[in-house]
Amino acid sequence: MSAASGFRTAEAESVFRFWPRHNEAIYERLETKHVWLEQAQRNAANGADPLEHEMILNIGPQHPATHGVLRCVVKMDGETIDKSVLDIGYLHRGIEKLAEHKTYQEFMPYTDRMDYLSPYSNNVAWCLAVEKLAGIEAPERAQWLRMILCELARISSHLLWLGVGLMDAGAVSVFLWTFKGREDLYRIFDEVAGARFTVSHSRIGGLAADLTPEAFRLIRRFTDEFGKEIAGWEALLNRNRIWIDRNRNVGTLTREEAVEIGLTGPNLRASGEPYDIRRFEPYLFYGDVAFDVPTREEGDSLARYFVRLEEMKESLRIIRQCLERLPDGPIRADDAKRAYPSKDEVYYSMEGMIHDFLYTDAGIAPPKGAVCYQAIESPKGELGWYLQSDGTGNPWRAKVNAPSFTNLQGLEHMMEGALVADAVILIGSIDPVMGEADK
Amino acid sequence: MPADVEHTSSPQQGAPFRKALDFFFTAADEASPDEQNPLAQPTTRLPEIVRALADRFGEAILGVEEYAGEQTVLVETQRIAEVCRFLKDEQGFRYLADAGGADRFTDEERFEVFYNLVSFEKKKRIRLKIRVDEAALTAPTVTGVYRAANWNEREVYDMLGIRFEGHPDMRRMFMPEDFEYYPQRKEFPQLGIPGSLPLPPRTPEGPLQRDPFPTAHEGPTPKSYEEPPSQIVREA
Repeated sequence: MSAASGFRTAEAESVFRFWPRHNEAIYERLETKHVWLEQAQRNAANGADPLEHEMILNIGPQHPATHGVLRCVVKMDGETIDKSVLDIGYLHRGIEKLAEHKTYQEFMPYTDRMDYLSPYSNNVAWCLAVEKLAGIEAPERAQWLRMILCELARISSHLLWLGVGLMDAGAVSVFLWTFKGREDLYRIFDEVAGARFTVSHSRIGGLAADLTPEAFRLIRRFTDEFGKEIAGWEALLNRNRIWIDRNRNVGTLTREEAVEIGLTGPNLRASGEPYDIRRFEPYLFYGDVAFDVPTREEGDSLARYFVRLEEMKESLRIIRQCLERLPDGPIRADDAKRAYPSKDEVYYSMEGMIHDFLYTDAGIAPPKGAVCYQAIESPKGELGWYLQSDGTGNPWRAKVNAPSFTNLQGLEHMMEGALVADAVILIGSIDPVMGEADK
Repeated sequence: MPADVEHTSSPQQGAPFRKALDFFFTAADEASPDEQNPLAQPTTRLPEIVRALADRFGEAILGVEEYAGEQTVLVETQRIAEVCRFLKDEQGFRYLADAGGADRFTDEERFEVFYNLVSFEKKKRIRLKIRVDEAALTAPTVTGVYRAANWNEREVYDMLGIRFEGHPDMRRMFMPEDFEYYPQRKEFPQLGIPGSLPLPPRTPEGPLQRDPFPTAHEGPTPKSYEEPPSQIVREA
């Protein structure tokens, strides 16, 4: 097919019908050769051993247990994975390239589409990075609100991880229960931002709009009631024989190994390294609230489960403190050159309208040669943006440090030596989001 | 008389005071290092580590840039692995948080690669940077020091075309090997190059798609199905 369609192939007669060079490189990496079933059957008919080749299994990219479009090519020895190669990029949209063609504010909605399970923390990561680059300080109220919404996003992401992780282990009903919790969160985000999923609510220099009294009521109700749900899941799972057997001693990484292959977020903390950006470099007001960083020593899938469950409880604790300490005040920086003017100003004053127009058209221009890196602790781990400015309204280079990308590199290592049945558990337990890993 | 009253009333008698409006939206003011950035972190202030690096490597440390309280240490390209080894073993930077590349679009030393290293014990974060010339397009790998750099270096190779010498697995990260361009380079068009990336056919027997954005390059998107003839009967 490839020759007939006009695309060049690596050799005239490649065994691969599509992307021959790419697939050959993967098999070369696995130190094996690809054999079609027909050829193996011919070998068998000629009296040769039909099992002379290693068993190669392609898990994904279209497999529901791979949480997106992750392709794992594994070489197997019986049921044990001998060698694994992850092939990612099936959701590559060139988001860093897109950023170079957008103004800073224009690019913010694109970040929703990266880690689409916790869009709010992506918005905040981008806005904080741009604020650092341009030297803008968001008002105090905006920062507290950002903390509340980031923690809600963390709970939302961990809920999906729990539901899907359990579904991978065979328990479908928990998925429905966690989505009940996610539905409450969707309602909150709908009330806050007008969108359930892709919120795009944070703005450079603050927020799009203040929260309504109804939103506060929903958040309070959620924080009051959600603790009981977590307790219910703990009662179901913490001593559940099947869940523990599937997870204990699966994908164990020691503390040194986890640091060496650069795991991040809950996966690193489950191996005993208490690295949390909220503590390491307290952004927003994380330095002012009391919370614990849950860690575990075991480093297996079960430890990752416990860490994430504890994190949800800590998030609730943070939200409660934020609600208590939330000050009154503006929610966006009062400087029309650096943040959008309020809608009152835009609709009722000429200057406001001009500022709004110019901000949309050109946006902020950080100084030429400015370089910065700003990271936040997203639900998946350290989510950072490295920005370079050339003095215009578009970033010269925006490089995202995506936690899912970092964690997937660890997955490649973890899968080697594991059972193929555990591969699915492992993918679930490191919690990758391909939108983020593939950029 | 208070100063502010004098200021508002003096310029023109009777005329309303007008503040000059200045729109400098694409002002190319240079970044200055001594700026008080509201988001600056103490983790990126590391004078003693920069001094230790300068003492140890001397000429190989080509310079230190500073912005927003962050220091970027520019290192001689060929000695990056050595510098990383020193930071890891003797300064406690055990964790590689990030590495990536950028296209500076200059005649000389066109590309740069940066490394973002973290020390948990010292609570410090340092950024190293090397420059890579377009003619050479190679840099030494740091995978021997930080295993975590493996995928990051592959990503740099995929996006900019810089090959890392000694890298154990120098394949592309996101794009297929059959793709012949380096998309993060500044000259690569945002909408891609038609025909550069074969995509699966829309129908089982159909041809491969040559262009992911046909609407942008050569007219309407080809349909994967044949439209039935219109059922609408026009009244005469």
